[in-house]
Amino acid sequence: MKSKVRLSAAAALAAVPLILTGCGSGTGNASGANSGSGNAASGSSKPVIGGNLVIDRSNDAVSMNKTTTFDNSSIFVMEQIMEPLFTVSNDGKSVKPWLATGYTVSADKLTYTIKLRSGVKFSNGQPMTAADVKFSIDQDTKTGSDGWGYINAAIKQVTAVDPATVQISLKYPWAPLIADLSLFSNGIIPNNYAGKSAAAFYNAPIGTGPFEWSSWQKGQSIKLVKNPHYWQPGKPYLDSVEFDVVPDANTRQLQLQGKQADIDTYPDFSQFSTLKNTPGIVATAFPSTEVDYLAMNELKAPFKDPHVRQAISYAIDRNALVKAVLFGIGKPANSLLMPGLPYYDGTGGETYDLAKAKQALAESSVPHGFTTTMEISSGNANQATVAQIVQSELKPLGITVNIQQLDPTAAHAASEGTGYEMDYSAWTMDIPDPDEWTSFAVDPSGGARSAFTSYTNASVISLNKQAEQQTDPTKRAELYSQLQQQTSKDAFLAYLFYPPYLYATTNNVHGFFVTPLGNFHLEDVYKSS
Amino acid sequence: MLHRLRFIPGRILQAIPVAFGVSILVFLMSHLLPGNPAVAILGNHATPAAVASLSKHLGLDQPLWDQYWLFLVHLFQGDLGQSLTYGQPVVSLVFSAVPVTLSLVLYALVLSLIISVPLAGWAATRPGSVRDLGVRAYTLLGQGMPQFWVGIMLILLLAVRWGIFPVSGYGQSFTDHLYYLFLPALTLAISMCPTIIRSLRSSTIQALGSEYVATARSKGIGGASLFRVHVLRNAAIPTVSIVGVNLGYLVGGSLVIEKVFAIPGLGSLMINAIFARDFPTIQGVALFVAIFVVIVGIVTDIVYTLLDPRVDLTNTEAAR
Repeated sequence: MKSKVRLSAAAALAAVPLILTGCGSGTGNASGANSGSGNAASGSSKPVIGGNLVIDRSNDAVSMNKTTTFDNSSIFVMEQIMEPLFTVSNDGKSVKPWLATGYTVSADKLTYTIKLRSGVKFSNGQPMTAADVKFSIDQDTKTGSDGWGYINAAIKQVTAVDPATVQISLKYPWAPLIADLSLFSNGIIPNNYAGKSAAAFYNAPIGTGPFEWSSWQKGQSIKLVKNPHYWQPGKPYLDSVEFDVVPDANTRQLQLQGKQADIDTYPDFSQFSTLKNTPGIVATAFPSTEVDYLAMNELKAPFKDPHVRQAISYAIDRNALVKAVLFGIGKPANSLLMPGLPYYDGTGGETYDLAKAKQALAESSVPHGFTTTMEISSGNANQATVAQIVQSELKPLGITVNIQQLDPTAAHAASEGTGYEMDYSAWTMDIPDPDEWTSFAVDPSGGARSAFTSYTNASVISLNKQAEQQTDPTKRAELYSQLQQQTSKDAFLAYLFYPPYLYATTNNVHGFFVTPLGNFHLEDVYKSS
Repeated sequence: MLHRLRFIPGRILQAIPVAFGVSILVFLMSHLLPGNPAVAILGNHATPAAVASLSKHLGLDQPLWDQYWLFLVHLFQGDLGQSLTYGQPVVSLVFSAVPVTLSLVLYALVLSLIISVPLAGWAATRPGSVRDLGVRAYTLLGQGMPQFWVGIMLILLLAVRWGIFPVSGYGQSFTDHLYYLFLPALTLAISMCPTIIRSLRSSTIQALGSEYVATARSKGIGGASLFRVHVLRNAAIPTVSIVGVNLGYLVGGSLVIEKVFAIPGLGSLMINAIFARDFPTIQGVALFVAIFVVIVGIVTDIVYTLLDPRVDLTNTEAAR
């Protein structure tokens, strides 16, 4: 999902989600992180039934096709309609059964037998069976690299054993399987698209989720209404949900103040403290799985040298960046992995140390510095601030940084090319398993040339491969710990910070909670009058 | 009188090369931009293999001229192609955004005239008086205030504080639209009025001092009918062309207001299409705006001709 980078494209202000100060390292309930809003678990009062929830976002959705759509604005809508077999836990560290009730794994780790929840119906009243599950996963797998199919690459075959049991056989042991099944692209839809063509089906998708499709005015608003057949008794509380497109952050805030909207998605960091102090508004920073970093292209001479990359990593004062860019709402980044992920270690990352930076550069091929270019997206104030701070921090090393602003799509294209030198980028997770990101970032054969840096370290690649196939969590943790230490030492990316997801709601909204993957469960939300 | 409108068919024919030129320019310019729609669609997960495969699927691997030729062929069939982002016909996207922007612009025009005409007449009848100075001060202020600021101030006061109007949006029904579009239209009107008032005020002063008005007065005509028949009709002529130019500009330039008020019009469609490198949509919107500007030009000329019997555009064209 998480084309956060792309999201900011259409409205540079969409910027970044975030993480609350001090919340990161705790593994407890993530809601502990929020500003005492009572938002996440307003348990004591009785939920109010009915009402229409209006969610403001800067971008419209693109498509409801769960297998080939990559933008969050689409994904957050489709997740209310189509549900997966498993879903991520609130702290983002594990998955819990959802449309499934549990699974067993064969001794050779190659066969997973999954039991389906009974009494689950699609919004058209048709009961969900194993045939639907097989069809849904197979359709996703078929998209291959044109969609999310690559996520299912380890799957050999899906078999409907009986109406309530599904068996998945694998080509090789694959630890992230259950996490992969929690991805929206593996959400369950009726067998054979309920008799429609794929295109017709995704124009008005049917699923088992709390809400069903109602209407879409492109560029304006998407409306969902309550699914009368929902499997969780008494839920959803709301009658309907409306996702409105409001590109301007100020307008979103005003709509919230005027009670025309209930939820403001991604207010700017600069607005956050004002929002928090506005009566009637609850502003919350949910821990995320976003990491912002500077990519250094190893195809360009000075960056091939690890000493140069280390020097740059040491020279960046991450606390200053968090203060200036995230207004203190976030954490300095110290690992390839994010605190919202399982196996985050967070002990090896470079911290600000100018003496060490100078020493590292002295040992490098360019002891007296060099001139380089950093590419950022134009119109994105956060990126511009980061670039200027980094520019001034590298000056004492004799490194002259020229900042080049490109429009967001051009910047994106440049960051995926081979011509850039330094580039501002970010990543967020879609599944609660590090593999999605580590394979993209450290394995040159993962298709993305190691997050487009051409970084190649045989021992890191091997650690990543072992972790993929290791199903024992303790041993996996050890492997990922080594991987984090080594990648930090190689400094192939200069980690910057972990921003949280910012949301603001009116104080009438209860039960709204965002997981570190960015998903939210609207069946738990209700509005008091 | 009708023979003076014979210039219209010729003008409409002129629109064809204009639209053609615009389409080539926009096509080339949008393809000159670095970045590719496949990258925009795939976001973070754009591996080179996925980008290549999607580009092929979208037909972006074809030579530029083939792509343009295909666009032209489809255009003659009334087909502007499929939006690369929405996978929907561009025609339907444009046609859903056009009424929004047009009603906003026309609404703004009506409000501007309601505000400007009385104010200009009021100021012009007593040049140099306090009320004239007041109106002139407003024209200065109105031109100086940025639109987005005026918009936000109106929202804060009329929507958030007093709750008379919605903060933003477009609404569902026609009455909804009138209600939702009032503040944005007023914002546009506030910035459009100063130009109209200035021009109308000075031409009214001129008309009031003219001999035919003196003659009319000597015949005993006065008050409203003097103003309507003898003064306004003549004073309006220069204003009509100013309004025409402004209208064309507004359709292209309503983007800021559309953004502040979250209105799903042409401006928002265009900017999103540019960011996503959604070439067919960029083309469609540009083509529509070009045609619209040409039409406004023609309408301006017609109004001109009807207002002033001395204007004969058929002759001017023949003389060329």
